[in-house]
Amino acid sequence: MSNNIDFKELWNRGKASAPDVSEIFAKANRLTRKTRCKIWWSNIILSITILLMIFIWWYYQPQLLTTKIGLILILIAIVIFLVTTNQLSPLLAKADEETDSRHFLEQVIRIKHKQEFLNKTMLTVYFILLSIGITLYFIEYASRGSLLFQVLAYGITFAWIIFNWIYIKTRTIKKQQKAINDIIARLEEVNKQFGPPTP
Amino acid sequence: MVFEDIYRDYWNKVFRICMGYVNDRDLAKDMAQETFILIWRKLPQFRNESAVGTWIYRIASNNCLRQIERSNRMPKTELPEQIEDTLEPDMEWQSRLLYKCIAELPETDRIIISLELEDVKQAEIAKITGLSESNVRVKIFRLKEKLTQKFKQYEQQY
Repeated sequence: MSNNIDFKELWNRGKASAPDVSEIFAKANRLTRKTRCKIWWSNIILSITILLMIFIWWYYQPQLLTTKIGLILILIAIVIFLVTTNQLSPLLAKADEETDSRHFLEQVIRIKHKQEFLNKTMLTVYFILLSIGITLYFIEYASRGSLLFQVLAYGITFAWIIFNWIYIKTRTIKKQQKAINDIIARLEEVNKQFGPPTP
Repeated sequence: MVFEDIYRDYWNKVFRICMGYVNDRDLAKDMAQETFILIWRKLPQFRNESAVGTWIYRIASNNCLRQIERSNRMPKTELPEQIEDTLEPDMEWQSRLLYKCIAELPETDRIIISLELEDVKQAEIAKITGLSESNVRVKIFRLKEKLTQKFKQYEQQY
């Protein structure tokens, strides 16, 4: 190398003792177990939710169609939420590390855009379904009580829904978007370092 | 190809690529381990379509680029100064300085110059990064100049 500095020699001095190969296997197995455990948990929670809904249906024997639709909507909302957060997102995060870096970066950017869309859309769908579901579910039980009970029940439910919609949903989406957008911006900046694609 | 052989032959090479990228010994070791976990998992599907070295360096380089997603949470510049000095007890200062200079380059340049210093052929570097060979040649020429300049500048300060 120029000017008498032997960079290659200096570079080759960088060494680190390699951990025993069994440590690599153990770490790999731990990671696999962790992923499997996470999937198991989300499946267990999903099953419990479904069982709970069936139990409510069977135990309280709802008469009105609105209650049944409400229950189904709530169930769909929860399933959508769990599936998106636990299974779809990691699935999308799988980029092909064996390809060249330029394509790898493009892939990661595409995945992040998909993730951003998915998070935003699914969270909105979740909130809409949950709100409609709860409102419908309440109709039957509220109609059995006094007027004051009805007003209170609906008042509290709607207040809760509005609070969720305006405050929690907006905040959650904003926070998620910011995190993903920051990463996308960084990735695009690095990808630009490669310059325009070669034909 | 037996994993144990790859591990023995490539551990230090992969470690140096990671070290050039982050200039943080512990982090580089972790990243090298992550790379070998990926290699271990993907080895059964490796079809010899490319040389094993190219394949390994692709996985290592892409794993380095993965840091972009993570370092967002903890920018390198926010690390306290003294950490840098205490982490590399067994490396001489000139060698440390080289890694410091490389880690200050833009991300993709760090990978290109690291591969060049690792004696990877320029045609292979083109395959690893996805750049054209002529582009790689020009970039390496400029990077060497930039690195020499940076190195001398720091050297005078010490």
